[in-house]
Amino acid sequence: MTAAAKIRTGIAGLDKMLHGGFVPGRPYIVSGPPGAGKTILAMQFLREGLEGGERCLFVALEEPPNELKINMRGFRWNLDDLDVLDANSDIRRFEPTPILEISTEEEPIKVRALGDRIRKTPDFESKEVTVHSLQQLLKTLLLKRNYERVVIDSITALKYFCMREFEEAVTTQSFMRYLAESKVTSLLTLELPEEGEVPPEAFLARGEIRLHKLRDETGIKRFISVEKYKGSSHDEFVYAFDITNAGIVLNTAA
Amino acid sequence: MDRVKTGIVGLDTMLNGGLLPARPYVISGPTGSGKTILSAHFLLEGLGQHEPCLLVTLDEPPIEVKSNMATFGWNLDRLKILDATPDVRAHKRQRSVIDVGTALDVRDMEDVTEIRQSSGIRALEVNVHSVQKMIKQEFAHHLERTKERYKRIVIDSMTALKMFSMQGQDSRVLTQSFLRFLAELESTTLIVSERLDRKILETEFFLSRGEIRLHKWVDGSVVRRAISIEKFRVETRLIDEVSNVIESVMKGIEDAHRRQVPIRDVEVSLSRAMLAFQRRNYRKAMKIALGCDSDLKERLRQAPPAPPTAIPPRPPLVAR
Repeated sequence: MTAAAKIRTGIAGLDKMLHGGFVPGRPYIVSGPPGAGKTILAMQFLREGLEGGERCLFVALEEPPNELKINMRGFRWNLDDLDVLDANSDIRRFEPTPILEISTEEEPIKVRALGDRIRKTPDFESKEVTVHSLQQLLKTLLLKRNYERVVIDSITALKYFCMREFEEAVTTQSFMRYLAESKVTSLLTLELPEEGEVPPEAFLARGEIRLHKLRDETGIKRFISVEKYKGSSHDEFVYAFDITNAGIVLNTAA
Repeated sequence: MDRVKTGIVGLDTMLNGGLLPARPYVISGPTGSGKTILSAHFLLEGLGQHEPCLLVTLDEPPIEVKSNMATFGWNLDRLKILDATPDVRAHKRQRSVIDVGTALDVRDMEDVTEIRQSSGIRALEVNVHSVQKMIKQEFAHHLERTKERYKRIVIDSMTALKMFSMQGQDSRVLTQSFLRFLAELESTTLIVSERLDRKILETEFFLSRGEIRLHKWVDGSVVRRAISIEKFRVETRLIDEVSNVIESVMKGIEDAHRRQVPIRDVEVSLSRAMLAFQRRNYRKAMKIALGCDSDLKERLRQAPPAPPTAIPPRPPLVAR
């Protein structure tokens, strides 16, 4: 695939590493330990889309959207037109109460309309997100709004909180399959443990960008690498990066 | 947004001023690395500022916490403490009928005098639901009594809660729900957690808005300790950004002075920006400073170019 037909990631150095950007219409993974910069990278991906007038959706499974908005304020990116879907489950009820599946009523909210405070769990009902309901909801949303870029933050949260443990592998596979079929370019964040094996989600995606966090005497250093990228050549080097006022910046010169 | 001070000066510096209010954070580290002491600093700082603070203890009975802290000479009398340490297990068949949520107690630290004795009739078992319910009740009572919300909460520890109070249930989902519950309380919460296995990604670590990690290792014959921030969701580098803009405006002003461009009004509005900055109204400061910046640039563009800087005559070369 030629570089021209690829879509840009919003990070100049990363585009260079990917020899142009992502192949459109496929799901990609950005992995790394907590605090590595995954959400920021994903946000830059969406911002790139917004600037080109594309419709973008952020599915928040880890952080409440109000906090996300505050976190991103410092970068002074114009994210007003970004749709955010709050897929955080409410506080669980311990008494049997009717559970609302989110697919029935939830709608994404534009960032500009997000409030400053956290949404409170209502007293008599609570919202529960299951992978099934989320998929259903995405289906209608994609049809209705024609999203071009979608971020799922994170697939780990989806796996941990929205699936039954015994069917995790199958359900994750089917969710990725669904994303691929819907022909949207999607970026899924994946939490990595400090050491040990990489979770199986990584091999289901068409590409994996990994963020590394190393600690030495001078502090925490961050690195980025492209672990795999199907259907395209890519850079094999590992580059250092910094999180600056302008987001993630790669030190490709070094 | 104002930061919440941790009570440890160096740590606040590391955090660029402190934690963000109304969010849950994790303190992690091996046994004996100082997690409980760090959280006591956090609570002490809050008490010093007359903020209502709550300690939920699951590891140590309150009386032990009290005497341990007394060795530092710290006075935590006004701290509310929720004793959620489980009783001695009754190895009998019958189950307690009483709702444990009502049996847990919250009291002032100064009223803590001895360890709670396990009741002979029914053993108090703690589960995450009862802890949650109790915190909620205490929150509501406190709000009713004093019209104040708890500002700081410490959960000591999440590891105990998970090990003893979530048995046989899906601990990931329960942890997610518990963190959601804490976030909805809108207090700044420290969750003490031991990282038992580096290969397993515990839920609280990636759901929390930040992780402060304590390290402990043996170096020769001494135990050394260190602290690092592993993750920190920052609302903004707005402070840095504003100070950058202000700095660049000041440089511009110097330049303008050298070129004798009249910029009195820019200086006046810059001082307003600096005032807003001092009052921590960064948003306003940013707005004014950006205004100054564009004004100044416009003014400098129209002004005649700078006169060449005078080169001082070189001293004559001295032959050696």
